[in-house]
Amino acid sequence: MAESKISPHNLNELKNTTDDALGNYLRSLKFSQSNSKLDVRLAIGYTSVIIAAATFAADYKLGWEATKTWTAVAVVAYAILNGAFTYWMWAVEKGLIFEGTNAQGGRLSISSKTNKHDPTYYLTISSTSPGSSSPSTWHIKNPFTTWFTADGFFVAKPFQQWLASSIEMIGDADMKNALRDERDELAAPTPEVEIIGDGSGNGTVEASGVDAKSKGSKRGKKKA
Amino acid sequence: MFGSLANLQPRQLAAQVLNFALVLSTAFMLWKGLSVFTDSSSPIVVVLSGSMEPAFQRGDLLFLWNRGQETQVGEVVVYNVRGKDIPIVHRVIRRFGGGSAPLNLLTKGDNNAADDTELYARGQSYLDRSKDVIGSVVGYVPFVGYVTILLSEYPWLKTAMLVFMALSVVLQRE
Repeated sequence: MAESKISPHNLNELKNTTDDALGNYLRSLKFSQSNSKLDVRLAIGYTSVIIAAATFAADYKLGWEATKTWTAVAVVAYAILNGAFTYWMWAVEKGLIFEGTNAQGGRLSISSKTNKHDPTYYLTISSTSPGSSSPSTWHIKNPFTTWFTADGFFVAKPFQQWLASSIEMIGDADMKNALRDERDELAAPTPEVEIIGDGSGNGTVEASGVDAKSKGSKRGKKKA
Repeated sequence: MFGSLANLQPRQLAAQVLNFALVLSTAFMLWKGLSVFTDSSSPIVVVLSGSMEPAFQRGDLLFLWNRGQETQVGEVVVYNVRGKDIPIVHRVIRRFGGGSAPLNLLTKGDNNAADDTELYARGQSYLDRSKDVIGSVVGYVPFVGYVTILLSEYPWLKTAMLVFMALSVVLQRE
């Protein structure tokens, strides 16, 4: 996956590297990716580039006077296509980075975004389980420091654990990364440690408690 | 940096190349759109000589308008000499014809001692308004055009700029 070093101070690079890693991760989990939205964007974009190139060639060979009328037509067509392109990116794709289905036929689509001066990765997830027709949509976020080292190396493990723990459909496909108990603690933090965390013996009690919980969750998952 | 580019999925690579192509094609189509709007083959020109001082200096950026062919004496026009591809910006000092008849113009640089008959092509003693003139000057920005003068006088600058632009667009994903 993304082994190369990036600048940890460049928010764009953090986001792009993470976006790429997310796609690679889901493809490795046998999600079949649907590229239809990107394909529409590419089709619109390349059509307008071809129009511009044809206009350039005609202008170069025949000169302005001979091509005046067709240039006007091309300019209008280019403007319309460019508007459609922008609309598609902002209103339809909205930062979409992955759309696909898993083996059971559930649909998953994930969009990412970042805000200026805020090193946090925001994801909008929309998933439709095989039976139902209406998708459930929710937002998750996590600071980039969770899966980037201080010198800019991407670490896959915590990133995959985060996704597998907070997105049911990914957790089902990647059980070993789905830390149910961790997610539960994140969702509803139980202040056990603060209350009893003063003796050395309590640590072992805590650990066994976590173990039991995770076993329970795995069993539960297999049934589901 | 190039490594990260090679790691891209084919579609992402296509999208990346498209970003670069769109920057170029949009710039070109904006220029052509301005051409269509002003009805002029080159709606923005840069003054290269001092022949119109003190009205226009070397490096001034001129905006042209070519709709409405009834050019009057005193207007500053940009024209191409037949057979040469160098646009010249000079003032109209005489006009012949006009109305239903084809309009012909005689021009002169404000800073030149004589009119332009010397500059015109061999055997030509006036300009044909509809064929030779690219447009009348309707606005200008002083000095900005010096960038293009530098680019044309030092061609390596042009190459360096293009390479820099291409690299920055391809390597930086927005």
